[in-house]
Amino acid sequence: MAEGSSWSIVAVVDDDQSVLRSLEYLLESADYAVRLFTSGKELLDSGCLPRIDCLISDIDVPGMEGFDLLRQVHAARPGLPIILITGYPDTLKRLPSFGGNSPRFFTKPFQGPELLAAISEALSRASATRS
Amino acid sequence: MLKADATVSEEERFVLSNLPPSPGQKRLAIGIVLGLCIALYLVIGPFGGKQLPEVQSFVAFYTTAMFVTDSITAILLFTQFSILRSRAILVIASGYLFTALLIVPYALAFPGVFAPNGVIDGLQTSAHLYLLWHCGFPLFVIGYALSKDEDESRRLSQGKVSAAILRSVVFTVFGALAVTILCMKGEAVLPRIMLDRARFVAEWPLVVGAPIAALCATALVVLWLRRRSILDLFLMVVLCAYLIEIPPHYYPFPARFSTGWYAVRITSLISSSIVLVVLLYEITALYGGLLRAVLRQRREREARLMTGDAVAASIAHEVRQPLTAMVTTADAGLRFLDRSAPNLDKAKEAFRRIVADGHRAGDVIGSIRANFRTDVRDRTSFDLNEVIGEALALGRGDLLRHRIAVQAEPSSQLPKVIGNRSQLQQVLLNLITNAIDAMAAKDEPRILSVKSEVHEGDRVVVSIADTGTGVRSQDTDRIFNPLFTSKPDGMGMGLSICRAIIEAHEGQLWFAPNNPRGAVFHFTLRANHAASAAV
Repeated sequence: MAEGSSWSIVAVVDDDQSVLRSLEYLLESADYAVRLFTSGKELLDSGCLPRIDCLISDIDVPGMEGFDLLRQVHAARPGLPIILITGYPDTLKRLPSFGGNSPRFFTKPFQGPELLAAISEALSRASATRS
Repeated sequence: MLKADATVSEEERFVLSNLPPSPGQKRLAIGIVLGLCIALYLVIGPFGGKQLPEVQSFVAFYTTAMFVTDSITAILLFTQFSILRSRAILVIASGYLFTALLIVPYALAFPGVFAPNGVIDGLQTSAHLYLLWHCGFPLFVIGYALSKDEDESRRLSQGKVSAAILRSVVFTVFGALAVTILCMKGEAVLPRIMLDRARFVAEWPLVVGAPIAALCATALVVLWLRRRSILDLFLMVVLCAYLIEIPPHYYPFPARFSTGWYAVRITSLISSSIVLVVLLYEITALYGGLLRAVLRQRREREARLMTGDAVAASIAHEVRQPLTAMVTTADAGLRFLDRSAPNLDKAKEAFRRIVADGHRAGDVIGSIRANFRTDVRDRTSFDLNEVIGEALALGRGDLLRHRIAVQAEPSSQLPKVIGNRSQLQQVLLNLITNAIDAMAAKDEPRILSVKSEVHEGDRVVVSIADTGTGVRSQDTDRIFNPLFTSKPDGMGMGLSICRAIIEAHEGQLWFAPNNPRGAVFHFTLRANHAASAAV
């Protein structure tokens, strides 16, 4: 079972409160510290971005298109692990290239264990890259 | 019972030679005949006996214009034949080709046009050509009128059309050639018409006027008895013009180059152009009408697809969010229970959240149903038979493509209903589309029956029956369930939405097996007797 470390912070961006709360619960069950945001702008305005270890984002978030958020996050934190979730898999066909750091994606409704495994793997890879 | 076989000549409804004339077109036809009459007799009345100079360039212009208009008319009629495959159209097209072809030797034989005594020599030749040209055309009209009610089964197959046109053209060319040779060489057997290059014989009314008048009158009577289309109407106008043009040739005295003779040339040019102008005008009008119809149908289809797609996408999105939350929370709950020291409080909280999200998913479905129910502002009182007709028209392309015969049985006593017209059109269209899909899969006689009738006094019931694959017995309990589909590319929302719409209109939607095969879908709606009584 994938377990997070108590000091890893995972940010979640989704405009749907029930999805947001369920992800918070799932991530807490794996001992991650969780920060919830209902839009990309809220995340960028919060000043949390430099401190988070992983970002889970719905692509279809209001206020700022998911891809715009990705570009800004990638510019500010090029190595940050990103996982995308979407209700419309076709949207991913328009996903821009982010070099070697291509985000993983999951289609709603997704399998919780698979998502946790992907987070754990992404954090390990990012940690290995830093060291 | 109104029976319309969708497989039979749909295009005929849009082809000029089959369209009935409108009152305006009838008025126009009468106006043309009266106008020609008045113009001709106003001219010859005061000036009829006046002899004018021989203007040979006028004859050249007149014959050239006649040749061009008759040739184009023939081509357009041959084109109409290639669509309709009716022998009658082939006959009249050949008639116009015949007149066009005879104009050539007429011009060549007319003294002074290309040579002082005509290229084709002979004093009588041009007059004889005129006689046979004006006797020949009414004969073609008679042939047209007699063959226009032929049995549709005797019509030529598509592959034989080109051969039939070619055969007619060859026969007509040989016919015109034979007539020309007869006129050139047959002075001994044909009556004498010309005294000299300008004056007619005194018997002109008997030897030329009478045969032309008799044939035109006969053609007019035969055509009148069988008149049906715009083409019939304007052919009668042409025959009237032929008749009107006879007296000015010999009144007050018979001669070429009189005021009356020149006036007749002009009116005959007009009368020969009538069918061409009408054909061109109607073709342009029909083209515009068809273009508008195609664009309207495309817009309606796009709107229909957008409505269906938007509803399906909206349902998918709205249901997917609570579903995602439920699955994710359940995964989290399992993880809290799987710990070495299970966290029961967190697990209980997870269950509570799952219940809440489950209710939210239910609310989403409820709100979609409520959308259909609360749309009161769009409800009007309308004739359901009209909406059935529109839905059948929208599905006509698919019905034709799959060779499905349509039996429409609208009740003439049907009261109006109150409801959202476009939603009920969607329901009908959906049921018709399902019926088409069910029949397209079976290679057996395909019949779609749509019936409306009064039901228990205060309701109307509409039945849509097909001869398709029917509903499998194991599916009968679930075909109205959301997401149930028997189609490989279906979303399974159609019947579910249809039932929601009908129930929102306080009606019922159900189905039964059709005999001997297929399915019948019925739905009821509340009748609006007050509106029906007021009409």
